[in-house]
Order: sequence, then C-alpha cells, then structure tokens
Amino acid sequence: MSAPATTPPAEHALEESKFGLFVEIAMLLAVITGLELVTVYLPFMKWLLVSVLVVLSTVKFMFVIFYFMHLRWDKAFCTILFFIGLVLAGGTMWALLKLFGAEASKPLSSAMMDPPAAVLRVS
Amino acid sequence: MSTAAAGAIDHHHDPTTTTGIPNKKLLMWAFLASDCMFFGCLISTHLIYRLHPPPGTLPARQVFSIELTSFSTFILLMSSLMMALAVNAIQKGNLKSLRWSLLTTIFFGCIFLGCQVYEFRNFVFEKHLTITNSILGTTFFTLTGTHGLHVLIGVIWLTGMLIYSFTGRLGEKDAIDVEMMGLYWHFVDIVWIVIFTAVYLLEYI
Repeated sequence: MSAPATTPPAEHALEESKFGLFVEIAMLLAVITGLELVTVYLPFMKWLLVSVLVVLSTVKFMFVIFYFMHLRWDKAFCTILFFIGLVLAGGTMWALLKLFGAEASKPLSSAMMDPPAAVLRVS
Repeated sequence: MSTAAAGAIDHHHDPTTTTGIPNKKLLMWAFLASDCMFFGCLISTHLIYRLHPPPGTLPARQVFSIELTSFSTFILLMSSLMMALAVNAIQKGNLKSLRWSLLTTIFFGCIFLGCQVYEFRNFVFEKHLTITNSILGTTFFTLTGTHGLHVLIGVIWLTGMLIYSFTGRLGEKDAIDVEMMGLYWHFVDIVWIVIFTAVYLLEYI
C-alpha cells in the first residue's frame, strides 16, 4: 500500500476543529428528524408535506455525506463517483415508479377495484 | 524524514496514486455507489406496492410504530456522530478516544438492531404480518431486513476493529482502515434516512 502524504500545520488545525463541527451537525440532524416527525401531523396539503419531507431528508443526507463522510475535504472525484451511483439509483427509482404507476401496469385485482377515468365515463 | 518533522499525515489525499485518492477509499466509494442502486431498487419496489396495494391490504399505519422508529433513527444518527469522532481520533493518533468512540458506536448499533428485532417480532406475533402473507410484509421485511443485515455487518466490523486496536498494531498511519469502516457505517445511516422518510413517514400523511 502507498504511504500516506503529509500536510502543513495550518491544515492540521482544521482537523482539530472538526470535533465541535461534528457535534453541531449531529445536533442539527436530530432537530431535523424532530421537524420531520412534526411535519407528518400538520394539516396541510399532501403534496406540500411530501415536498417538505423530501427536502428535509435530502438536507440530512447531504450533511452526512459531505461532513461525516468527509466528501467536503476529499478530492472531487469521490463525490463524482458516489453521485454516479446516486443518479443511477434515482433514475432507476423514477423509471420504476413511472412504469408501475401507469394505469396498464396496475395489478389486475387492484385495477378492477379502481377503474380508470375513461371506463367510468363510458359507463 | 519523519512525518512529525514534515507535519501531520494528510488523510484526504495520496500523491502516490494516479487519482490522488487512497486506493482503499476509492474502492469503498465505488462499492457504496453500487449499493445505492441495490437499495434504490428495494425502496422503489416497496413504494410501487404501497402506491397500488392489493384489495384487503392492512393499512401500514396500523402496523407501524412511529415512536419506536423515530427512536431508532435518533440512535443511528448518534452512532454516526460517534463513528465520525472515531475517525477523527485515529487521524490524530488518539487510540484511547478511538476505542471509546468505537465502543459507543457498537453500543448504538446494537440498540438499533435490538429495536429492529423487537419491531419484527411485534409485526409477526402481534400484527400477524409476515414476509409471505402479504405484499406489504414481503417488501417491508426484505427492505428493512437487508438494511438490518448491513448494520449487523457494520457492528461485526466495528467489533473486529476495536479488538484489533488492543494489539498495538493500529496507529495513525492506519487511519484509512478506520475511515473505510466509517464510510460504510455512515452509508448505513444515509440509507436509513431515506427508508425512514419513504417507508415510515409517508404512511402518516
């Protein structure tokens, strides 16, 4: 294995200050989790609540990967590599949800219980 | 020339590799990227069947316990903090702090697993939801069970590293090994962040 590189004392000071930063971020993540819990009980429109939940969990996700997983301090290639996986996973999820969300893809028994709008109009 | 004379070890860059990134770290990031796709498929499978539940499906809201899951989420977030502190400790060569941080991370990981075992037992014996008797059970147990298996592997890895730290062969130069383990543990945490929202919280809206 290759030998580790060295860094000047100025950058070493950054390593020292990470302790406080990590604790602050953990507290922030706990607060965001609390906010998510409160959000589900709010009497607002469903699309708004879903959007808020998606934004809050994305913020938590980003804080963990950029600070706890050190992406902020690592070379950009690590971020690119991970985001390739994320984009592929997100794209697969989006495609699957679209494919199986179509009327023709509904399970037969479920489709019979909930007929499409066109069928309702004819009857 | 000693590292002490030249300054502290740079744990984020390695000029001796083509990419400037330690090979072990690059390998772990590539693995995590592929694991994203694995969990992406499991989560979307669960969501698809929740969007179009077969008639007579038990509402998930009647099965889930949001209090227990929120507690598990908080525990896993705190374990991530302790893991980050463990990596910080080994990068400074502080073995004592590393051991305490690892021990706390293992403890939190075990609490999370305990909560999951309790939840599964409750679902099977109290709510009569099994992996084979409904589509909700199949997708839910497969997804959360796979995540739980990842947590278990993480706990075993952490325990191995804790024991290894007592052999006297673990030092600041080996920080990359602890960092790799940390990346894996944080990944387990971010997957749970998504599961908590997509599987549990969305049921309550």
